[in-house]
Amino acid sequence: MSAYVQFADTAKSFGPVEVVRKTNLGLERNSLVVFLGPSGCGKTTLMRMVGGLDEPTSGSILLGGEKVVRPDRRRGMVFQSYSSFPWLTVERNIAFGMRYRNDITSAQKSERTRHYLDLFGLADFAASYPNRISGGMRQRVAIARTLAAGSDVLLMDEPFGALDALTRERLQVELRLIQIREEKTVIFVTHDVEEAVFLADRIILFSRRPASVVADIDVAAELGPQRPLEIRETQKFFELRNKVLHLIRNETGTAV
Amino acid sequence: MFSNLFVFRGRVAPMVELSVGIAAAFLVVAAWEAAARSGIIAPQFLPSPTRVVAALWTMLTEQNLVWHVAVSTARVWIAFLLAAAMAIPIGIMMSSYRIIGAALEPMIDFIRYLPVPALVPLSIIWFGVGEETKVFLLWLGTFFQLVLLVADDMRRVPQEFVEVARTVGANSRQVMTDVALRWMGPTLIDNLRITLGWCWTYLIIAEIVAADSGIGYVIWTARRFVKTPEVMAGVVVIGLIGLVTDQLLRLLHRRLFRYL
Ligand SMILES: Nc1ncnc2c1ncn2[C@@H]1O[C@H](COP(=O)(O)OP(=O)(O)OP(=O)(O)O)[C@@H](O)[C@H]1O
Ligand SMILES: [Mg+2]
Repeated sequence: MSAYVQFADTAKSFGPVEVVRKTNLGLERNSLVVFLGPSGCGKTTLMRMVGGLDEPTSGSILLGGEKVVRPDRRRGMVFQSYSSFPWLTVERNIAFGMRYRNDITSAQKSERTRHYLDLFGLADFAASYPNRISGGMRQRVAIARTLAAGSDVLLMDEPFGALDALTRERLQVELRLIQIREEKTVIFVTHDVEEAVFLADRIILFSRRPASVVADIDVAAELGPQRPLEIRETQKFFELRNKVLHLIRNETGTAV
Repeated sequence: MFSNLFVFRGRVAPMVELSVGIAAAFLVVAAWEAAARSGIIAPQFLPSPTRVVAALWTMLTEQNLVWHVAVSTARVWIAFLLAAAMAIPIGIMMSSYRIIGAALEPMIDFIRYLPVPALVPLSIIWFGVGEETKVFLLWLGTFFQLVLLVADDMRRVPQEFVEVARTVGANSRQVMTDVALRWMGPTLIDNLRITLGWCWTYLIIAEIVAADSGIGYVIWTARRFVKTPEVMAGVVVIGLIGLVTDQLLRLLHRRLFRYL
């Protein structure tokens, strides 16, 4: 079983500050992996390195066996904020993901744009500008753009952090469905343990800075791949959530 | 009845806004007229608005005011466009490549603080009293300010936007044109509008010191003969040009950036 995304002796320091301790970690293709860890531990840094936006100080990151050196279309980023361009309509924001692709015709581009507008329930807002739509919709636009770009790895850094509970829940369900349907590999960073357990096939728990893996929890083995909303009310879900909570408390408590 | 007009940061209907603006201006003019007519202030110091308007009329019909205004406007726009055409690319380069910024910033910051009037003598020595001097002074007054404003805007382009573009495959040039410039657009137009206003200030200085045409020259000549109404008429004309240009640029801003 070979990993699709592979951290190989990856370490990162910003000047004298060690942020990521030498890490070896392989992530399966078509799975959703959640990075969980105390604030400031280095989760964003790990993800940016996968995206090719930051370079490891030593070691490397492999994607399908190939070393990551610069950002490209295969890995799309979804940030917590600022994710859609204010000067483009919803439709054109989504199409922006394909703007620099020469391998598909413009007819195919509009067709794909349509597809994602419909998939994310944005069709009625195709001509609206981002500042006229809700925060939840703006995040949908950002995710749709990344999918339209044809990325098969989605790097999501607390993408739902700024949303209200209900919107957040809906987007979690949608994300999970789309991830399975479109066969994407997702790395998802969050602070929210509920969210982590609900979404993840696998949770990687990191220590305080410098980040290193302290726990690797196989959520899919317990909850299976399908995540209907009701799963949140099951015994298994509770147990898992509590287990993760305890692990986190221990981590943040001991590492002084 | 009026209480809903005084809500902190409240909205007022556009018609009400416009009427209030006109009414307030009218009140000031009326007060001015009354003060001038009452004779408290000697007419050499404060001619009445009606006399200023009369002077404006004579200047338009008999003294070629339109031509002087055209000359001034041309000077302003030539210098302004020159300054903008240089400041925008240089400002962008300064923020995009640290090395260029490091090279230029200290120099620009130094020159920026030199008062334009202090450079008038030097500019006359260099360029004589022809058009070059005026354009040079106006350019001097705007270029160095504008270049730093542009550099600042460029620096503020959110990193997330740049990174989103790069992850969907944009190269550096595409990031520049499709993201950075688009993001900067609104502030850029605002900064241009503001620096264009400064141009007029420097123009009057330049035309007073070394010119035989232009609105500044007209005002200065009228002063020598203590023709206060003409002086005031000249000032009013500058104000009107400023008002019209400003409103046009605001309109352009609204048209270009409908998404705001
Ligand atoms: N460009 C940088 N230069 C210097 N230090 C940095 C840089 N980026 C991040 N750091 C430092 O690295 C550490 C980890 O940052 P990172 O953003 O990866 O943490 P995080 O786990 O994502 O935190 P949070 O949960 O709060 O988002 C922090 O201490 C931060 O100050
Ligand atoms: Mg972070």
